[in-house]
Amino acid sequence: MAEHRSASTFSEALRTRDDDALVALLRARPDLVNPSPSTLRSLAARATGTASTERALADCDRLGLQVLESLVALATLGRPTTPDDVVAALSPADDVDPAALRRSVLVTLADLDARALVWSTPDGFRAAPGVAPLLGLYPAGLGPAAPHPADDLAALLEKARSDGGRGRAVLDALAWGPPVGVAPHEPRAVAAVDRLVADGLLLAPDAGHVVLPGEVGLALRSGRTHRDVRPGPPLPADGRSPAHATVDAEAAQQALEMVRLVTDLLRLWDDEPPTVLRTGGLAVRDLRRLALHLDTDDATAAAAAELALAAELVADDGEVPASFAPTTLADSWLAQDDDARWARLAHAWSASPRAAWLAATRDEQGSVRSALSPDHAVGWAVRLRRTVLDAVGASPVALGPADVRAVLAWEAPRNVPPGDAVDGVLAGARLLGVVALGALSTPGATLLDGDPGGAPDPAALARTAVALDAVLPAPVDDLLVQGDLTGIVPGRPGRDLAELLDAVAEVESRGAALTVRFTPASVERAMAGGLSAEDVLGRIDRHARGPLPQALEYLVRDVARRHGRVRVGAALSYVRVDDPAVVASLLADPALRALGLVGLAPTVVAANIPAARLHEALAAAGVTAVLEGPDGRAVSTARERRRAAPPSGRRGRGRAGGPSTGPPSGRRVDEDARARRVVAELRARDDLARAADHPGATGSTGAGAGPDLDLGPHRAGAAHASGARPGTTPPADTLALLREAIEERRLVDLSTVDGHGTPVIRTVRPLRLDGGRLRAVDPARDAELTVAVHRIASVVPRDD
Amino acid sequence: MTDGPLIVQSDKTLLLEVDHPQATEARRAIAPFAELERAPEHVHTYRLTPLGLWNARAAGHDAEQVVSALMDYSRYPVPHSLLVDVAETMARYGRLQLVKHPVHGLVLQTTDRAVLTEVLRSKRTAGLVGDRIDEDTVVVHPSERGNLKQVLIKLGWPAEDLAGYVDGEKHDIALTPDGWTLRPYQEHAVESFWHGGSGVVVLPCGAGKTLVGAGAMAKSSTTTLILVTNTVSARQWKDELVRRTTLTEDEIGEYSGTRKEIRPVTIATYQVLTTRRKGVYTHLELLDARDWGLVVYDEVHLLPAPIFRMTADLQARRRLGLTATLVREDGREDEVFSLIGPKRFDAPWKDIEAQGYIAPAECTEVRLTLSDADRMAYAVAEPEEKYRLAASAPGKNRVVDQILQAHPGEQTLVIGQYIDQLHELAEHLDADLITGETTVKERQRLFDAFRTGEIHRLVVSKVANFSIDLPEASVAVQVSGSFGSRQEEAQRLGRVMRPKQDGRTAHFYTVVARDTVDQEFAAHRQRFLAEQGYAYKILDAEDLEEGLARELPS
Repeated sequence: MAEHRSASTFSEALRTRDDDALVALLRARPDLVNPSPSTLRSLAARATGTASTERALADCDRLGLQVLESLVALATLGRPTTPDDVVAALSPADDVDPAALRRSVLVTLADLDARALVWSTPDGFRAAPGVAPLLGLYPAGLGPAAPHPADDLAALLEKARSDGGRGRAVLDALAWGPPVGVAPHEPRAVAAVDRLVADGLLLAPDAGHVVLPGEVGLALRSGRTHRDVRPGPPLPADGRSPAHATVDAEAAQQALEMVRLVTDLLRLWDDEPPTVLRTGGLAVRDLRRLALHLDTDDATAAAAAELALAAELVADDGEVPASFAPTTLADSWLAQDDDARWARLAHAWSASPRAAWLAATRDEQGSVRSALSPDHAVGWAVRLRRTVLDAVGASPVALGPADVRAVLAWEAPRNVPPGDAVDGVLAGARLLGVVALGALSTPGATLLDGDPGGAPDPAALARTAVALDAVLPAPVDDLLVQGDLTGIVPGRPGRDLAELLDAVAEVESRGAALTVRFTPASVERAMAGGLSAEDVLGRIDRHARGPLPQALEYLVRDVARRHGRVRVGAALSYVRVDDPAVVASLLADPALRALGLVGLAPTVVAANIPAARLHEALAAAGVTAVLEGPDGRAVSTARERRRAAPPSGRRGRGRAGGPSTGPPSGRRVDEDARARRVVAELRARDDLARAADHPGATGSTGAGAGPDLDLGPHRAGAAHASGARPGTTPPADTLALLREAIEERRLVDLSTVDGHGTPVIRTVRPLRLDGGRLRAVDPARDAELTVAVHRIASVVPRDD
Repeated sequence: MTDGPLIVQSDKTLLLEVDHPQATEARRAIAPFAELERAPEHVHTYRLTPLGLWNARAAGHDAEQVVSALMDYSRYPVPHSLLVDVAETMARYGRLQLVKHPVHGLVLQTTDRAVLTEVLRSKRTAGLVGDRIDEDTVVVHPSERGNLKQVLIKLGWPAEDLAGYVDGEKHDIALTPDGWTLRPYQEHAVESFWHGGSGVVVLPCGAGKTLVGAGAMAKSSTTTLILVTNTVSARQWKDELVRRTTLTEDEIGEYSGTRKEIRPVTIATYQVLTTRRKGVYTHLELLDARDWGLVVYDEVHLLPAPIFRMTADLQARRRLGLTATLVREDGREDEVFSLIGPKRFDAPWKDIEAQGYIAPAECTEVRLTLSDADRMAYAVAEPEEKYRLAASAPGKNRVVDQILQAHPGEQTLVIGQYIDQLHELAEHLDADLITGETTVKERQRLFDAFRTGEIHRLVVSKVANFSIDLPEASVAVQVSGSFGSRQEEAQRLGRVMRPKQDGRTAHFYTVVARDTVDQEFAAHRQRFLAEQGYAYKILDAEDLEEGLARELPS
């Protein structure tokens, strides 16, 4: 696309691009298509507008910005701007190969061209209109062009250099910018500065300041606009690349740990779902409890909770009061193997729009931000995550958080993500095992395959799971049971063993191996879960290397002996009888079978209906009974009122579906197709416009303050339906014409409408378009004027 | 990834598989910096602690050695964060050094200005240091040497004490090895201690710690102050020193509640040193009574807090701590480190047992089901009464009887906590009883009689917990204890672990009441021994006869 078209203006250059180049532009700068521009001119206007240019510059890396600055600075000073000139103006850093830099600069130029940040003229590349004002007052730190440039600059500089130390010190101080300095007071320095001003090597715009003119600065820099330029991001000098196996082993550890944390979290919240705060988050108290249960710190517990939410394993159950409860997805997740579970978590993390790292940190007021709070949903999290992972993945050496920030600062100096967000993403990636030891792990790298933010497809999940499985240590099925009632699995326990130990023992230490302790409480828990002493011992024995220690056998049998001594059950009413024979007859009576009578003791029967109804039912069956109160005294049936039974059993927990925070799916549009359609429309309309006579543009009012408020052809047309005149240019075109005029320093006929509605036409030279105002010079009156853009009716370029 | 015997856990525990061919090698490699936490039959657990790592630094090991030991023997990749942590922790030791300055006397100097600035800014160091001589050096008041070290370790920047020691008053002491020699590990312990300057030697009960003390005294050949737990123990030290060294009775003084002798070698009890009158320690002058060249602390893990404070003033003297375990129920391990010194030597119990220096022991817990009446009494008792009630359950007498019958003619100790219970037991067994009320003279007489085999059975209260030397006790039965003290359990087991002449296995019984707090406390107490590899067998009192018969085929 770099074939040189000769065009006199930016919009002309845009027009001469072929369709593919236009499509590429719209793809690279999607904001240009939303909403679709009506004409190629309004496309040009939008592309050179402050908002869109700012956005495009935000995507530029440091080299791109340096190239742009160089182009602007060279053009300001009237220097040629061919690619070779740009290459020559950029001085490589010491450790950079000049040939490599040259290649990178050429690629960068082509890329900037593709994004319409530069356009090519017969004399070389020019920065697009709208770029220069955004590069600051002194692009590349070079001052303005001198009004009367000295002819023999070299000789003068030589003179200044040899003229004692002071003049030279002043020049050296300003050489690499900023070019403005405070005028000195010390007499000898004043004399030196005066000499420099007299020679035209310095400008003194006012009594207090001196300015180094651009030409002089460039000469002092030996014609370079930038120094220490690098073709790629800076990497840590002493950087090492850790071995893949080490990274993956570390990542595998973390991955397993995170899966464990989320698993334990689901179990805990299944039993005791924490309440959803009114503001939507998790109470600090509940987070602490979770951290305690997971045996980790608050931040890690919060990360686990956020992951569970992102993976839709827990959700607000929507009941009153609402609580965070495991979802139906949690059950299928728990049924999966470690690798598949991790894949789900990792993909959910990567696609989550939530700034999960904010959970459990403190805000500006010092109060703790709650985990799972809806406030943490920020759209840019997905993109930032991808940016960070890309940076880590692309680096040949390990990157610490500071290094990653440095790389990101190089990649988009005008759009540096907040440092704590980068650190937060990295911390999350490390906890999850996506990043380990500053490098991307093999399973983590699989997350970069797909489209960020998209719903993970089963194939991608499977790929990630397989990648993790490949780096996990082989599961171990051996258990070493010892006399001090500890058991050790010398590796990652296999699933059956893990489940067994989970049921019958307490974990003492985790890591590459698992240490558990058998305690009366843990064995009791297993029995409550339905295992018998024989089950427990048998299953442990199957995994144990060598015979079980006597102490363990004794412990299990002793617990079994005590287990179930005290029992608790539910009944709604009871029958007490003195005579066991009566009990036997009640239990045997077929007429009473519907009452749910259960014999608890020879003289006690429990029933599953309220006492009053039991009383009636017994009376109907011919058994006269006395109702008794909680204190055992008889209660008169006359005073007995019917009361609603309390809802029995646990409140059914609504397994909430997907949370609202998930990425919208099914709304994905084929962006490429859309860009193509827009280009075709533009082209058609443009051809139409050219075919028709299109002399001067007459005005339109009511445009917004800038191209970003472009209302599009339809609304603009509607607004002016009554007063529309033939040939009226849309407001965006007005702006484009003005911007081009500024760039070309051309005169235009500007017709404005004054406060009384009277049109006024003036010939002016536009200077600056900023904040909805145009500053221009009226050469006829040699005066500057400022006009609000919305008062401009039309702009007609003058051919002079 | 090797197939090593070691697994490094992220919580900084190290699991060592003992049956692995490389296990011994690995144990040797990690012993200098990792604390042995438990040593049951299959997998020993070590723990990395800051103190342990600093101990290693003090002994001249560096982080690189530690890291490479972990990596060399680890079966799985070692967590990176742990390695970083090890390196960082170890780097904290020695940034600050206490040295002698030719002009200013004792100074604290640093290799890292920021660290010195940090610790000097702390409120805790205020008053302990004097003027700052230059950027890297600050004067330390000699009397605050100990306090400063203690504060610095709390601040996480332990100081390396290179200021050396006063020589102390010369006094010739030599071992008299007639018919005996120091065992290799004892010799090793003495060497490690002497080389390190000051510090703690950890040896199991019955492994001859007194001899390590004697060896250190012979090395030092200076006047020596020995601090012991009680009078009986003081007497035993004296006897042992007279027997094993060139010291005579007249050269050894006893400084206790009854006698106040100050001699070239003086043995003082903790109790007399901590005696206060009107809030003032009355016997502090003992510490300065002579120019001691060596201070020996027996049973460091029991050292009372006031003695720590006094010890802070003794930093210029060589200090040797002796103990069976660095575990302190009060968690003051760091004070032992900073005030007495780093661990200089230790050996696991089972290792020394394997070498035949301590008797193999079999531990049995006998569970007694309480009678219905006792269970009811227990169920309704006040919580604070429950342990006493359960521990002194009357049924225990019969169990003790049965045990004793299973070991006819063996030297047997019955140990308990509650005096009433012990009286009853003594009567029931027709045995002599030693409690806190027994006079020293009477105690000595009974111990001698027990030693000579004149009497076979002794019932003792907790006064006999520490440092009583009963060489031929081969069976111990404990009927009650101080709640869950692991300390006490180890001490009591130590009573039966002196090697028997006929190489017999020692027996250690604990009688507990089932389903009561007695059983819970017992479980807690046993943990320490189980972790040392002494696995308990559990027998039901009802099956006792049959069980014992099976266990003891003789």
